[in-house]
Amino acid sequence: MTDFQKYLTKNFDNPAALTLDGYVASGGYVALKKALGMQPVEIIDLVKAANLRGRGGAGFPAGVKWGFLAKTDGPKYLCVNADEGEPGTFKDGPLMEYDPHQLIEGVAIACFALGIHSAYIYIRGEFYNSIRAVERAVQDCYKKGVLGKGVLGTSFALDIAVHPGAGAYICGEETGLLSSLEGKKGMPKLKPPFPAVKGLWGCPTIVNNVETLACVPHIINVGADAWNALGCEKNGGTKLYCVSGHVVKPGYYELPHSTTLRQLIYDVCGGTKPGRTLKAVVPGGSSSPILLPEEIDVRMDFDSLGKIGTMLGSAAVIVMDDSVSMVRALHNLLHFYSHESCGQCTPCREGTHWLHVILERIVNGQGKIEDLDRIQDICGNMVGNTICVLADAAVLPTQSYIKKFRPEFEQYIRAGKRVSLLGGLIETVPVGAH
Amino acid sequence: MSLIHEQLRAKFNIVLSRYPVDQKQSAVIPLLHLLQEDLGGHITLEGQREVADFLGIPVAKVHEVVTFYTMLSEKPRGKNHLLVCRTLPCALSGCESVINAIHTKLNVKPGEVTLDGKFSYEEVECLAQCHLGPVLQVRDQVHGNLTPESAIQLIDKLGK
Ligand SMILES: Cc1cc2nc3c(=O)[nH]c(=O)nc-3n(C[C@H](O)[C@H](O)[C@H](O)COP(=O)(O)O)c2cc1C
Ligand code: SF4
Ligand code: FES
Repeated sequence: MTDFQKYLTKNFDNPAALTLDGYVASGGYVALKKALGMQPVEIIDLVKAANLRGRGGAGFPAGVKWGFLAKTDGPKYLCVNADEGEPGTFKDGPLMEYDPHQLIEGVAIACFALGIHSAYIYIRGEFYNSIRAVERAVQDCYKKGVLGKGVLGTSFALDIAVHPGAGAYICGEETGLLSSLEGKKGMPKLKPPFPAVKGLWGCPTIVNNVETLACVPHIINVGADAWNALGCEKNGGTKLYCVSGHVVKPGYYELPHSTTLRQLIYDVCGGTKPGRTLKAVVPGGSSSPILLPEEIDVRMDFDSLGKIGTMLGSAAVIVMDDSVSMVRALHNLLHFYSHESCGQCTPCREGTHWLHVILERIVNGQGKIEDLDRIQDICGNMVGNTICVLADAAVLPTQSYIKKFRPEFEQYIRAGKRVSLLGGLIETVPVGAH
Repeated sequence: MSLIHEQLRAKFNIVLSRYPVDQKQSAVIPLLHLLQEDLGGHITLEGQREVADFLGIPVAKVHEVVTFYTMLSEKPRGKNHLLVCRTLPCALSGCESVINAIHTKLNVKPGEVTLDGKFSYEEVECLAQCHLGPVLQVRDQVHGNLTPESAIQLIDKLGK
């Protein structure tokens, strides 16, 4: 797997590519030039044929989404989702920090295909280095005629601006992102209307993830067939996988979309640490249902993981070995979701709060077996009743942890002691806990 | 005297030029970042009022933004404000002991500033550097693979 040709990360060891000249020397902006000579609809059809699936989490086909952009004589926008916040995900930061022009080229091609003249790159506020790298690259582009009134000497005009976030997971949800970009709290909005019809400042807007757009120049360069050949059915191209937790070599890896979870964990990341065995794997960010060791012979594409009841999401693989308490792991995540709920919808605000409170009680050794049923009831009231899917994102892992590790939860409750996240040590209950 | 001094106003105007003229409110987050940095780590009520006036929007709209986003603060922060990640991947790498060590070393609660004004810290959710866990970030510097010992060494170094 190591001799595999890289596309998205090929410039990561080439700091010269941070500058416009260096990027051009590495073959950059050839795709944009080619695209500017194509018919916009040809580009959209090519992206459709390449089976480029959205890398932000939902895996929605990018070309199909582009086809939904409402026709208008007024302004329309492209917003790049660079708010990367799903626990376990750390790929969009490097894509911007180490190869900002690749993203800009993808944005420019998308905008040309969609007749858009203004794009915003919404970058997570903590990503100082990414913000700096992309801002510099954008300025370079304006100076040298890649952006502005006439892109690469054509009559196509395009402005790109970087917009920093300020710390809120919910701004990664596309309508929350747009609220935030409008200078408001990052509150999601009910869909429909979808952003493609009514988005930024009420205008038709496409929201795409960083990695999605970074793929676009390569699709123009190699064509739909070659891009499909890099992946598997209905999942074209290479994919950036993020692996964290209990493996020998955690990191981000660009691999064929057809890589299996077992290959990723054992062949690429060196497996679990010596003396440890695999206990559970989160395949696609903290919101995805968890998998058992016997379930990892699965291809890491959107459809294969969907078929076994979980999802690829943001391709964030979190590996847990046999030292982990699943009760504590779930408690950690429920803290996250209750903290990040924006609070607009009662089922989500109250549900995430109570799930966290109940888990806290169980963790502290004061849980009851009935609590496990109570948790199911709360989960049942949360799904499908909210403006965005953060509520579902809290419910899915909760249900799967308890379903797949029910005996461990029951045993923890019966023992009635606070146990550490790692290593099964008995801990004292913190002062002030109920 | 205005908090938005000439130099800052010039920066504000550059930011403002990125948005349509009738959508000035969109600039509020980038402007608040600039002001917070200029004021040394937090945004006073006076500052919020001036940003509101600059953008021609009610101060309540600025206030709700300051309170919604974790990177913006109304309370003073230490010269070094440590964001220590607590989320699952970092927890699997042992961040709890790192957080405990920082807490003991600084001897203040999260969100409070040490007496010498040099430090404050906050437990935050995933910083998107999970392969380097346990992780903490001080402004633009990310420190990874921390142990309780290396976290304390880092604090000693930053405090000098
Ligand atoms: C709670 C929540 C958080 C999300 N966070 C992100 C994020 O950090 N980055 C991202 O690209 N998409 C995120 N998404 C998905 C976006 O809503 C949206 O689907 C995506 O940006 C679309 O881009 P794509 O089609 O290129 O994947 C999140 C969704 C939800 C519900
Ligand atoms: S589901 Fe939760 S996060 Fe989403 S809008 Fe409702 S309250 Fe906010
Ligand atoms: S969990 Fe700590 S950086 Fe992601």
